[in-house]
Amino acid sequence: MLRQTTVLVLAAVALVASAVASLTLGAVAVPLGDVADALTGKAEDGPFKEIVLTLRLPRAVDAIVVGAALGVAGALLQGALANPLASPDVIGVTAGAGFGAVLILLVFPSSIALLPVGALLFGSLAAAIVFAIAWSGRNRGSIGRLILAGIAVQAMFGAMTTSVMVGFSDRVQSAVFWLAGGLTSEGWSEMAVAWPYFAIGGIVAVGLVRPLDRLALGDEVAQSLGARPQLIRLTAACAAALLASAAAALAGLLTFLGLVIPHVVRLAGGTHSHRFVVPTSAILGAALLLAGDTLARTAFAPIELPVGPFMVLLGVPLFLWLLRKAV
Amino acid sequence: MTTPLLEARDVEVRIGEAHILKGADLTVDRGSLVAIVGPNGAGKSTFARAVAGMQKLSAGTVLWDGTDVRRLRGRKLAMLRAFVPQRARVPDGVDVRQAVEIGRSPHIRPLARPTRADHEAVDRALERAGAADLADRRLSTLSGGELQRVQIAVALAQEAPALIADEPTAHLDLGASATLARLLRALADEGLGVVLVVHDLALASAIADTVVVMSEGRTVAAGPGEEVLDTGRLSEVWHVDAALHTGDDGRTALRVDWLATGRTPEMKETQHR
Repeated sequence: MLRQTTVLVLAAVALVASAVASLTLGAVAVPLGDVADALTGKAEDGPFKEIVLTLRLPRAVDAIVVGAALGVAGALLQGALANPLASPDVIGVTAGAGFGAVLILLVFPSSIALLPVGALLFGSLAAAIVFAIAWSGRNRGSIGRLILAGIAVQAMFGAMTTSVMVGFSDRVQSAVFWLAGGLTSEGWSEMAVAWPYFAIGGIVAVGLVRPLDRLALGDEVAQSLGARPQLIRLTAACAAALLASAAAALAGLLTFLGLVIPHVVRLAGGTHSHRFVVPTSAILGAALLLAGDTLARTAFAPIELPVGPFMVLLGVPLFLWLLRKAV
Repeated sequence: MTTPLLEARDVEVRIGEAHILKGADLTVDRGSLVAIVGPNGAGKSTFARAVAGMQKLSAGTVLWDGTDVRRLRGRKLAMLRAFVPQRARVPDGVDVRQAVEIGRSPHIRPLARPTRADHEAVDRALERAGAADLADRRLSTLSGGELQRVQIAVALAQEAPALIADEPTAHLDLGASATLARLLRALADEGLGVVLVVHDLALASAIADTVVVMSEGRTVAAGPGEEVLDTGRLSEVWHVDAALHTGDDGRTALRVDWLATGRTPEMKETQHR
C-alpha cells in the first residue's frame, strides 16, 4: 500500500508541476502570481491574462484530458483483454481516427473545423467494426478474435489513409503534423466537440474498476462471482474506444502513451489491481503529456516540436529500462 | 422432505452442432460431497458448468434451493454456489490475500469499500482452506497444491452454501491431492454441499457420499462409490479390466490389469448368460 500511495503522490506532484510549467513557460514567461490572478479572475485585462486564458489554459486542459484518456484507455484494454500488448491501436481506433482526420485535411480542407468530428467518427467506426466481428457467431468475445479483427481493420484503415495521401499528395504537408500527434493552441473549440466522449468514457471506466479486477483470476472465477466476462470486455473496449477516438480528435495519433502508461504504473506500483492502475494511469498520462507538450513547445522555441515523436523518443528508452528491470 | 440444495434433471447442453450433454441428473444436499466421475469427453466439466449457471442449458432443469438457475443472475447466483476452475489464471503482481478479496467481491456493493466483516470473511476463508500462512505470498510463487488451496479460499470467500470444483486435483502430486481431498471432505462435514469433478476413482470413492458416473453425455449411475464403481461398470464405461477395493481400514485402491483391454459390452452379455 505504501508503495502504491507513493507512486500515486509522485504522479500527482508531477501533474501539478507540469501544470505550473505549462501555464508559466513559453514564448512569454508569465509569473506564477499573474497566472493565479488570471485563473481566479482577479487579473486586469492585458497580455498576461490573454495568454493564460485563451492560449495556455485550453492547451493545458487538452493535454491533461487527452493524457488521462489515453492512460485510462490503455489500462482498460490491457485489463479487459488480459494482454500486455493491448492499446487503442489494437481495436482499430487509431487507424480509423487517422483516416478520418486525413480525409478532412486532404479531401475537404475547407471544412477543417470538422477535423475532430472526422477523427471521432472514423475512430469509433473502426472500433465498431472490430467489435461487431469479435462479438458475433461462435466463440464470440474471444480475445484472439478481437485482436486479429483489430489488426485487420487497422491495416484496412491504414491502407485507406495511404491511398488518400497518395491521391492528394500535393496537400500531404498539412496532415503530417496531425498524424505525428500534437496539441494546438486553438482554444476550446475542439474540446467543445469531444467532451461528451471523454465524460462518458471516464464514467464507464470508474464503473469498470471492480468488474475488471474480477477478471484477474480468469473468466471462470469471474463467472463464479456472478460477473459476465464478455460483457465486461465489450464495455471496457467501448469505453476505451470512446476515450481514444476523442483523444485522437484533439491531439492526433499519440498512441504510445496508451500502451506504455499502464505498464509503467503497474511496474512502479507492483500491483495489477485496477483500483490503483486506472486512476494512477489517468494522472500519470495527464502529467506526462502536459510535461511533454510544455517541453516540446519551449525546448527549441520558437520552433514547436510535435509532441508525439518527441515523447516516443524520450519514453522508449525509459520504458525499455523499466522492462529490463521487471522481467 | 426438504428441498435439496441443488437438483438437476435431464440436463442437456448443445454447443453449436455438438450435443455434449444428453441427459444428466444430479442431487446435492447440504453437508454432502458428490463426486462426478467419467472418462475424458463424457461431459463432466460441461455438466459442472451447467449446474453452476455458467453454461446455457438447451433442455432440462437446474434448481438451486428450488429456484430455476435460468432466473438466477449475478450476485444471487454468486451467493448460492462458488465454482473452482481446473486451472485459474495466475496474474502477476497479485498476492494471495488480494486474490481471496476478489472472491469476496459479490458481497461488496458497487463503488463501496470492503467492510470489516468482509476482511474477516477473507481471513476465515484463508483459514478454512489451510492457506492462512500463504496470505502474503505472490500467486506466481505458489506450488500447484498451494495454488489449489488458494483457489478454494477464493471460492470460500463467497460464503455460498455450495462449492463446485472442476478437477482440482488434476495437476497435483499424491500428497497435495490427499490434502485437497481432506479439505473438501472437511468442508462437506461443516455443512457445505460439495460437487467434485475428478478422475481419480479411488479418491472419489473414499471421500464422496455419492459418486455419479457419466458416460457419453449422460449420468449412468449414482450411489456410494463401492456400489457404482463395480468391475462391470469400470469395464463398460472406461474399457478397462479393473476393480475398486475398499479395505476395512478405509483405504481405497483401484486394481487395474493395465495390459488387458476392457471387456466389450458384447462380451459382458455372454458372460451374464
